[in-house]
Amino acid sequence: MDVRSWIRVGIIAGIVTIFLALVGLIGRFVDLNLVGEQVTFARLVLIAAPLVAGYAVTRPRIRAGERRALAPRDAIMAGAVSGATAGLVFGIAVVAADAFGIDRIRSVFLNVSQPLIDFVTFGQPPVVGAVILTAVSAVAGGLAAGLRVTPIAVRRPITTAVSAVLVLGFLQRIIPIALDQLNFERDWLYSRSIGGLTWLGAILVAGVAAGLSVLNARKGRDLRARLFSTREESTGVAPAQLGLALVLVAVLVAVPWVVGEVISQVLGTVLIYVLLGIGLNIVVGYAGLLDLGYVFFYAVGAYSTALLTGAALNTFTGSGPPAVSLDLNFYLAIPIVLVIAACAGLLIGAPVLRLRGDYLALVTLGLGEMVTVLVRSPWLVPLVGGPNGMRGVSDAAVAGFGFREPQHFYYLALGFVLLAIFVSWRLSASRIGRAWTAMREDEQTAEAMGVNTTRFKLLAFAMGGAIGSLGGSMFAVQIGSLTPQSFEVTVSILVLGLVILGGLGSLPGVVVGALVLVGLPGLLREFEEYRGLAYGAALVAVMILRPQGLVPNVRRSRELQEEERAQDEWALEKEADVAVVEGIST
Amino acid sequence: MRKPRWFAVVTLLGALSLVAAGCAEEEGGGGGGGGGGGIDCATVEFGCVEVGPDDPINIGVSQVISGADATLGQDQVNGIELALDHRDGTFDGTDGTVLDHAVELTVEDDGCSAEGGQAAATALAADTSVVAVIGTSCSSGALGVADTILSEKGILLFSASNTNPALTAEGTHQPFYARTAHNDRIQGAIVAEFALGQDVGAKSAATIADESPYTQGLVAAFEQNFEAGGGTLTGSEQVNSEDTDFKAPLRSLAEGNPDVLYFPIFVAACTLVIKQAQEIMPDTTLIVSDGCLSSDTLKNAGADAKGVYASSPDIAASANPFYLNELVPAYKKEFNSAPLSVFHSHAYDAANILMDAIEAVAIQNEDGSLSIPRQALRDAVFATKDYEGSTGTFTCTPLGDCATDVTIGIFRAPGWPVEGGSPNAEAVYSDTKSLEDVL
Amino acid sequence: MGTSPAGVAGVRMRGFERLPWRRIILVVLGIAIVLVVGIGAWKTLSLNGAEGGYSGAAWRDFVVEGVSQGAIYAMIALGYSLVYGILRMINFAHGEVFMAGAFGSYFFADAYEKSGFLDRDPVLALLIITGVAIAVSVGTAALLERLAYRPLRHAPRLVPLITAIGASLFLQNVFRGFFGPQPYGYPKPHILTGGTTILGVAMTRVQLLVIVVAVLSMVALQLFVARTTTGRSMRAVAQDSEIASLMGINVDRVIVITFVIGGILAGIAGVLFSLTFGQVQFTMGFRPGIAAFTAAVLGGIGSIGGAALGGFLIGLLRAVGPPLILTGFGIPSVFSVRDAFVFLVLVLVLVFRPGGLLGSGEAEKV
Repeated sequence: MDVRSWIRVGIIAGIVTIFLALVGLIGRFVDLNLVGEQVTFARLVLIAAPLVAGYAVTRPRIRAGERRALAPRDAIMAGAVSGATAGLVFGIAVVAADAFGIDRIRSVFLNVSQPLIDFVTFGQPPVVGAVILTAVSAVAGGLAAGLRVTPIAVRRPITTAVSAVLVLGFLQRIIPIALDQLNFERDWLYSRSIGGLTWLGAILVAGVAAGLSVLNARKGRDLRARLFSTREESTGVAPAQLGLALVLVAVLVAVPWVVGEVISQVLGTVLIYVLLGIGLNIVVGYAGLLDLGYVFFYAVGAYSTALLTGAALNTFTGSGPPAVSLDLNFYLAIPIVLVIAACAGLLIGAPVLRLRGDYLALVTLGLGEMVTVLVRSPWLVPLVGGPNGMRGVSDAAVAGFGFREPQHFYYLALGFVLLAIFVSWRLSASRIGRAWTAMREDEQTAEAMGVNTTRFKLLAFAMGGAIGSLGGSMFAVQIGSLTPQSFEVTVSILVLGLVILGGLGSLPGVVVGALVLVGLPGLLREFEEYRGLAYGAALVAVMILRPQGLVPNVRRSRELQEEERAQDEWALEKEADVAVVEGIST
Repeated sequence: MRKPRWFAVVTLLGALSLVAAGCAEEEGGGGGGGGGGGIDCATVEFGCVEVGPDDPINIGVSQVISGADATLGQDQVNGIELALDHRDGTFDGTDGTVLDHAVELTVEDDGCSAEGGQAAATALAADTSVVAVIGTSCSSGALGVADTILSEKGILLFSASNTNPALTAEGTHQPFYARTAHNDRIQGAIVAEFALGQDVGAKSAATIADESPYTQGLVAAFEQNFEAGGGTLTGSEQVNSEDTDFKAPLRSLAEGNPDVLYFPIFVAACTLVIKQAQEIMPDTTLIVSDGCLSSDTLKNAGADAKGVYASSPDIAASANPFYLNELVPAYKKEFNSAPLSVFHSHAYDAANILMDAIEAVAIQNEDGSLSIPRQALRDAVFATKDYEGSTGTFTCTPLGDCATDVTIGIFRAPGWPVEGGSPNAEAVYSDTKSLEDVL
Repeated sequence: MGTSPAGVAGVRMRGFERLPWRRIILVVLGIAIVLVVGIGAWKTLSLNGAEGGYSGAAWRDFVVEGVSQGAIYAMIALGYSLVYGILRMINFAHGEVFMAGAFGSYFFADAYEKSGFLDRDPVLALLIITGVAIAVSVGTAALLERLAYRPLRHAPRLVPLITAIGASLFLQNVFRGFFGPQPYGYPKPHILTGGTTILGVAMTRVQLLVIVVAVLSMVALQLFVARTTTGRSMRAVAQDSEIASLMGINVDRVIVITFVIGGILAGIAGVLFSLTFGQVQFTMGFRPGIAAFTAAVLGGIGSIGGAALGGFLIGLLRAVGPPLILTGFGIPSVFSVRDAFVFLVLVLVLVFRPGGLLGSGEAEKV
């Protein structure tokens, strides 16, 4: 019975809700219906913090190496108290704001408005509203706590069903269009008039999701064991694994036609960022060199592809030829682009690679800024068009079959991604990869063992740069028209973020990172305003809670676990939290 | 252009079918000639949009509705909504109909960028019910991106705020692109004429652009016309719109002692340039354009803004009484704010031209459904002649410029036509030009 | 990088590779730079007014402008440098600490201007405004330290750096969410308008104020670090935090104090910056932050004198460098590439003096 900590968590949750209201996440989405007109995004945000609070206070404590879960009744009690506190804190803030004068607050905090107050007080007078808020939050907290202590056989179908409904609700701008394109009837699932899922649709989706979850719990383990049995246990390829591989290929090939043009477009962008991520992963993940200016190679790839394939400059009154350009076939241009990028990597790397890590970060950041400044400067207008940019980049057509259309582009990008994955995977397993590992872990020792670190650093820079430039080439093909706006420091940070989110040194991590950081925002464009906020918060949270990333590299995390954990008290402190995280995910 | 369902199955077979798919589609794409009478949707190029008996007509909208430029897009969305509202003859909050069908807007955020324009255009093009698209907000979203994507699908892209000359230039114009926005060539020319004229009497000028194509176009137009009119250019600088410290570039421009400094950049940087220029070159006449014409500029620059000239489409001069007496009050009533920019009126007119064109070309089937042939719709919009819009007359050229006679006014701060300025500000100078008149 | 020419790992290298390639490249590079700078400057200075040359007055203004900008960079740079000295981490979000202070003080400055207090009693008003800015900056910095950095105290060095990047992005977007993307006009008391002449150099009163306040703050900081007990413990922790903690120094406390001092300087810099430009916006921290960080590295990170020197140098480079060197080569609108120019100089300085100008002159291997 730790009532104080319940209340403390509740107060934090209340402050979080105030914060969410102030940045506008509640007020702006009052009309965003997810299911029917009852489940709206704003309502979800309103109870999100109490839900999390209720869930968090029932966290099993680890004492003397033993996990101790709360008894169900205590847990629900804890959740309810925590949730109620959160609601009360927010409610008091609302009452205070109302008493102080909404317009006066609004002159500072733009998102505070009368409609917002009306919404959070359920249209009642503020004090009554605050009481309702407290009650609702208490129920939310209690529910979350209750969910946590239910047996997993019940909990998992529920969470699966709820997540499935929410995901479909959030994708209301995307999925109906895809269904239309496939000529499927969609009105039973998505309402045309209110936007979100219909209640009937939501219930069906929940039912199917829960059913699948139960099925998975019964048969899943057996199936997974047959499909994913590791190589050490079985020699040769089992038929089940061959089947899995075939299914995987089939899915990859079929995806764009199943999901439609809009999602294909997003997937195309995801693949571009996967390419960038694979490249940066070589530099940061394998070789341990922090590069904050990766946009450099992206720009080099995009602009050199444009110049080599006969793109034109946008000018004041139309278009004109660049000062230097060739009109090559795209596939002839690609090797040249790669060589240019690799050379650029070498040229830049040579003077700066012996700098210590942080300085390297700054210098690469500077290089990225330089390329941003140069492509828009009046000085290089005759070459790259300056602010007006370039148009008419090749669409990489083969025998008249162009790749600019989203569904076609997917295949081109997928091809290059697979190639890059293969190269990167072979590299990491080779002598070079081991040299990189040695260098990353301890540069001096590596040098003493005869590893020419300068050479391997340069190699990493050149390889990473070449693959990154491929990402730029793909972007040029996809969009067909380049402007300096696309080559800003945000690209560098986004790519670094996805590599880290996925897990440094991990190729599956790059894919997952790109799906989360590029794919999700691409699908949820109505939240564009909050992308930076979520992204910044995610970077901090991942670094604190799960520094090895979402899909850690096996070898690397083993290193982390065995060596660094033993060495760093930090990791020992973290162990408790990690255990909890793992507890949640199992 | 609908993909058959068996496609999903066929693609499973692998790469071979891919090539086949491409060929098959090309065969389907090529068809008979243009529109005209007796249209057969099965054979006509780009086909028709089918609107079911009870379905609304779906008009796509690609505008920036998030981020720093959101007011630009929001103003146009408001203008389009007013056009729907007035379709029944009154601003009463109830939308009118087109051929007895309601009109529905599908709004996509184009973020005022090339990537955003691409994403929005792809999403709208994928929605087969979209008849035409009103947008984009910024030229960079259209230029070589949205205009190409939509033209390849035969979907009209009709912009109310793209002013970049290249969009409607010979050789770069895309067949399904048109705009009611004024071409920058006209605004740049009138600003140059004003600077050379008797109000300012400038002999020399300097310019500042930033990294956006918009300011580049205006500065280029101004420079060409200013020199052609006998003036001397003493210097030009390009700044970064996120920068704050412009004293060094301004000091460098001050070396040429220009009579006029023209910097059509956006509010944040523009305000800073105004303040710093008043310090460094107090005797130079400062001229900005509509990117800076905002109440924020007046508020943030304070006393320094006094006397700064701003150019903008002169709505008061070109607008008919309907605009002033009905449209603007309705805007204020419905959206609870004064118009955010001048582009709502262009968007209002664009929406009306488009709906008129739909009425003209749509084939009304017996069951109450509509078939709207895409090519014919495009041709009908391009055939617009002497259309009386809310703020001027429109006649579309074959290259898609519909605002052929544009009235640009020059306003002197604090008499800018924005909130915080004077609401009924009169231009100190106003001129109307058509594209043939300017360089 | 005097210590190790390409030798260490060159055991198996063939003969011609033993040539000190690095040295040769450096020497060639050095000669090339001297030539480019020399020719550019000479060509620029030999231009007359009609050809785009600059008058003496213009050069003087460029220098004054550079120094007063540099003073602000120097104050922000100190925050980076102090934290780096103690934690060996780049507090990437320090630019946002600066922005937070400026933004927070705006609401008070605006209210004081509207009530007339700002002009009635400008000194007191400015002191209160500065106090608010310091409070907001210090609060932000302390929260950052507590929530984002402290849990990562002993993590691999990449981890806190990435956290800092995330925190920077987060803070920017919080301010945008709270107050919107538009710029706000920051008032300036009448007493600060207009110009003045000091030692025969004309400058604006704001510029004078900026330079004076910055120099005073830096002197105060130097004294604090050199003379007080807390300053001594800071230096001890900077040298070796483990030994320092064995000697009875509360390392956590010292770290918090370091962040607080960085926050104080950033808050003051925020007010000076806002008075200079009269405008605050949520993006305002990013570029000055990068410039200041560059300054800290250029001067030699971890050293107070280095950060100050670096700040003034960066300010000067941005204002004087492009016209002096690039104009002569006929590059159009030279100021559009000034950020690239600054980074180029940084790279070159680091190539020849990896520890920065006042640093150890040695690349520390990490």
